[in-house]
Amino acid sequence: MQDPRMRIFAAAFLSIAAFISLQGADAAFLWWLVFTPRLQIAKRIRLVFSLIFMIAFFSLVLELFGGGGLSYFSRMTVIVLIGMWIFSDQKPGEFLSTSVWLFGDRVGFDLGMVAEMGIQSLSSVAADLDRIRMAEKIKGLQWEVRNLVPAGLVLVHGALIRAEDIAELLAVRGYRSGGTLCPEFFVNPIDRVAGLCVLGVVISALIPVSEFFILYR
Amino acid sequence: MVRIILNRVYAVRDHWSLSASGTFHEGVHLVNGDVGSGKSTLALMMAGLLPLPGGSIEKEEITSSMLSLQFPELHVTGLSVAEECTSWGVTPDEILAAIGLSGKKDISPLSLSRGELKRLHLACVLAKDYDLLLLDEPFSSLDCEEKVKLCARIGQKSQGITIIFTHEQEILPRVTRIWEIVDNTLVDCGTPPDAFQHWRHVPPVIGKLTALGSRPDNISLDDLREASCRIQG
Repeated sequence: MQDPRMRIFAAAFLSIAAFISLQGADAAFLWWLVFTPRLQIAKRIRLVFSLIFMIAFFSLVLELFGGGGLSYFSRMTVIVLIGMWIFSDQKPGEFLSTSVWLFGDRVGFDLGMVAEMGIQSLSSVAADLDRIRMAEKIKGLQWEVRNLVPAGLVLVHGALIRAEDIAELLAVRGYRSGGTLCPEFFVNPIDRVAGLCVLGVVISALIPVSEFFILYR
Repeated sequence: MVRIILNRVYAVRDHWSLSASGTFHEGVHLVNGDVGSGKSTLALMMAGLLPLPGGSIEKEEITSSMLSLQFPELHVTGLSVAEECTSWGVTPDEILAAIGLSGKKDISPLSLSRGELKRLHLACVLAKDYDLLLLDEPFSSLDCEEKVKLCARIGQKSQGITIIFTHEQEILPRVTRIWEIVDNTLVDCGTPPDAFQHWRHVPPVIGKLTALGSRPDNISLDDLREASCRIQG
């Protein structure tokens, strides 16, 4: 989807649909299979497998001790997949454009800028994490739980330093609040079809299929 | 005899690529290149920390190797400066006294300034002998005085292969061979002083001295001073 507004709304509605019912989750998964570059997402974000594994673990615990684990697994996995899709498809500047479109040049600009910085820092943190793992390998350390504390400290420290640097740069350039931006959005026909299908997913989540058939009879 | 051979090694990423071939023998090697030319990637590949998309790297008689990353905080695994020294297998008191950080033994390494942390990190790395020592931007975050000390420390190394990946152009140690990454390719410029004529980004001071008819023998400050003294008038 080229238009970030459509992508954000699609992701929000698909996540809600997946969360409220199993039919919604199934329909959202079908939508994800049809309208997203599935393999590219998995390749670009290796984290997707770890997250699904973690959800599987908690689902198993839930299934064993209280029931409903399978439903939880299906719904949460679809939400993670939708989240990964929106994250992998995101391009620099899109949150800023969408936020300005939604809330205007003042509050919208500030919120959009914060979101952009957040996304940027996520990729910096991921790059740092890769290097930390290499550095631990150099020292002959295994990637284990007790090494997570210093690694976490380094990551937080790095993020704070970067945030401080950016704040100083903004202050030096005279930034106080708000800004001017004329966002432009492009929608292609397939995106329109995908957007309409999102509505279908939401409807399928809200109206249980069994009741539909009872009414039909 | 230790040596590391790069056989048509290459790396590709988005709109960037790097290809490297050549043999690094015992001694101190300088790999020079612009920021973003691929020095760090090459260092990581030579250390065996990045998979090779193509080509191969052969290491002969290299039993121990070490890579110093550009940003010293990424190496931190100790919760105190003393613990950090211990994690490198060195005695804290000895190392900290040598770099003037004895009073900061119990604080977090992340509370040190970038320059102090770099000094601590390099002191720990250089405290041991390795067959292959890869230093990625070792001069960054150091002031002139510390750069000179580091050059002297590197100059004391009498065995193994030391490869310095840097874009530093002013304060450098005496080296055995000069390499340069130009147009996405690692180029062997040769041994100094003959290497200067093939070195595209030759430091301006060396270029000026050569133009004045007093080519330095090597790239260290002592060599540059000696060449300057040779200029008549």
